[in-house]
Amino acid sequence: MAQNQKPPSILETIGEEIIRIVTPVSICMLLVVLLVTILNSNSSDSSSSLASMATIAYSENSSDSFWDKFKGALLNSLAFVAIVTVVTFVLVLLFYFRCTKFLKIYMAFSAFIVLGFLGGEIALFLIEKFRIPIDCITFLVVLFNFTVVGVISVFMSKMAILITQAYLVVIGMLVAYWFTRLPEWTTWALLVAMSLYDLAAVLLPGGPLRLLVELAISRDEDIPALVYEARPVRYNDSGQRQRRMWRVRGSAGSNSVENLNSESNSSSNANTVSNSMNYQNETRLAVVEEGFHPVSVSELATAPLIPPSLQSTQDGQEGSSSENLLLEGIGLGSSGAIKLGLGDFIFYSVLVGRAAMYDFMTVYACYLAIIAGLGITLMLLALYQQALPALPVSVLLGVLFYFLTRLLLEAFIVQCSINLIMF
Amino acid sequence: MTVAAGIGYALLALGPSLSLFIAVIAKKPFLILTVLSSTLLFLVSLIVLSGVWRAFLPLKSTTWWPYGILIITSVGLQEVLRILFWKVYKRLEDILDAFADRVSKPRLYLADKMQIALAGGLGHGVAHAVFFCLSLLTPAFGPATFFVDRCSNMPFFLVSALISLGFVTIHTFSMVIAFNGYAEGKKTDQIFVPVVHLVAGMVTLINLASGGCIVGIPILYFVAALTLLHCGKMVLRRFTENLSRPESS
Repeated sequence: MAQNQKPPSILETIGEEIIRIVTPVSICMLLVVLLVTILNSNSSDSSSSLASMATIAYSENSSDSFWDKFKGALLNSLAFVAIVTVVTFVLVLLFYFRCTKFLKIYMAFSAFIVLGFLGGEIALFLIEKFRIPIDCITFLVVLFNFTVVGVISVFMSKMAILITQAYLVVIGMLVAYWFTRLPEWTTWALLVAMSLYDLAAVLLPGGPLRLLVELAISRDEDIPALVYEARPVRYNDSGQRQRRMWRVRGSAGSNSVENLNSESNSSSNANTVSNSMNYQNETRLAVVEEGFHPVSVSELATAPLIPPSLQSTQDGQEGSSSENLLLEGIGLGSSGAIKLGLGDFIFYSVLVGRAAMYDFMTVYACYLAIIAGLGITLMLLALYQQALPALPVSVLLGVLFYFLTRLLLEAFIVQCSINLIMF
Repeated sequence: MTVAAGIGYALLALGPSLSLFIAVIAKKPFLILTVLSSTLLFLVSLIVLSGVWRAFLPLKSTTWWPYGILIITSVGLQEVLRILFWKVYKRLEDILDAFADRVSKPRLYLADKMQIALAGGLGHGVAHAVFFCLSLLTPAFGPATFFVDRCSNMPFFLVSALISLGFVTIHTFSMVIAFNGYAEGKKTDQIFVPVVHLVAGMVTLINLASGGCIVGIPILYFVAALTLLHCGKMVLRRFTENLSRPESS
């Protein structure tokens, strides 16, 4: 027999970080697809579409002509992108004037609204659909507890990381589900417009996200933002402690990907870029549903991923060393973990959810396209070593594959399968 | 025919792949990435094929030779892509070996290479099952079922699930055979895989005849069993050879 003590090959661990970020993205997409198929199976989408800022310029009717719908969708998406740009600049301004506390409280409030109201409405839909017998008081108590635990878990990092991750995925899923209620043409135009905006905002010198990033670097501070952090990978070799920090930053509905190499772990060097990169921010718009409850998604940007002690200290010197000490203490061993902003989750899930409204074949095709785009983005990140937007490649690939599948693939596959011809 | 039936059909087509996935692939992240990328490759090949053939659809279902040409072109494209996949894998293997040297870990073992090939094949198989069977399964979750004229013994969903199971097996294991054939340079293995794929595709042409699926599906399973046996023999041979030589290949 072969010797039992063969040392483990690299195949055991390589690629682990990528899988740790692909898994929650896939789970979020799966949940949104399930919600869409369960809740939309009886009514056609356009009858109950919500009025929001994204339909401010034009609300779609299924009886409009092709050009009307196209123009209307373009106008809607331009309006949306304009509003997002303005809000991002406001965010940059607030950050410049050091109103961090205001931002954090605002973001906690928004997480509360998302979990409480959006989550509550979806729960009501589900209760209605499955005829679950439950009374108001129990429902309210359970919802309130769920919401409060969610807000605590994303803003105070002392919770078990699994709960934080789960709540972030749930928040992403709720917002994505609401976005899929937009009319169809508007959704597709919006996705393309947001990815182009992302590209511009992160890469152009005057882009708001780039400004935000540079401000945060120069001040060595943290921007409060909602970001999903994969569990850090623990390497078993206790050799030299070289860390590689991968950061995927989500900013203002767009996400940038940044890769840093941090060599030493115990240096109290305030200029360790690593801890200053703990920011993501995401500004989104208020989604007004029938004028009912304004949900400002802008707070979706912030979740402090570093221990609170770092948040409160304003000067970077103390911050970095205490961060390192705290991380050593918790035993996380600050080996890098990929972080992905919540905006990425939301827009990917919106794409897949909208594909689910057509057919499942488009869902599979778009899922593969998005994962491929994510992989390409991570590879580009390793290549270029600078902040990159994570939205464009995936979303544009996803949209391309959706239309290709819908127009070409479906007819082909159905023809073959009905005649039981397969290869 | 209700959710239970729908899930049943889905598991019929994908059950063995699911077990393979959970047992072998889920533990190694790199293999999951391999599965995803080979699934993507299969999808891209399907899209290219549908782009080319879109103009000729819908084909008249009375004559069989348009379908024959369709199958020949499809299988041809997929085999060419398999060779491409192999070349990419070779380059990747070198990169991985270099990385292993850098972190002073052992290079890829034979078992690792076989697992990567298996993951690649599984990706192809899963893509086939997903696109040819699962994506049409949505009506099966509802209250009724659907029968095709030519094969009126069983519901359409059951037939397509059975055929998909056969093809999943063929795709999964022929990738292992192909990779080994290219690695060792054995012509028999290299020819075996495209021939088996073509034969399996052509066998489904029998389904065009009325009542043909009664004959077609068993032949397909025979081909799948053949692939499985050949793969098993080859793997056994390589491992015993490997054991007798102490240094790994």
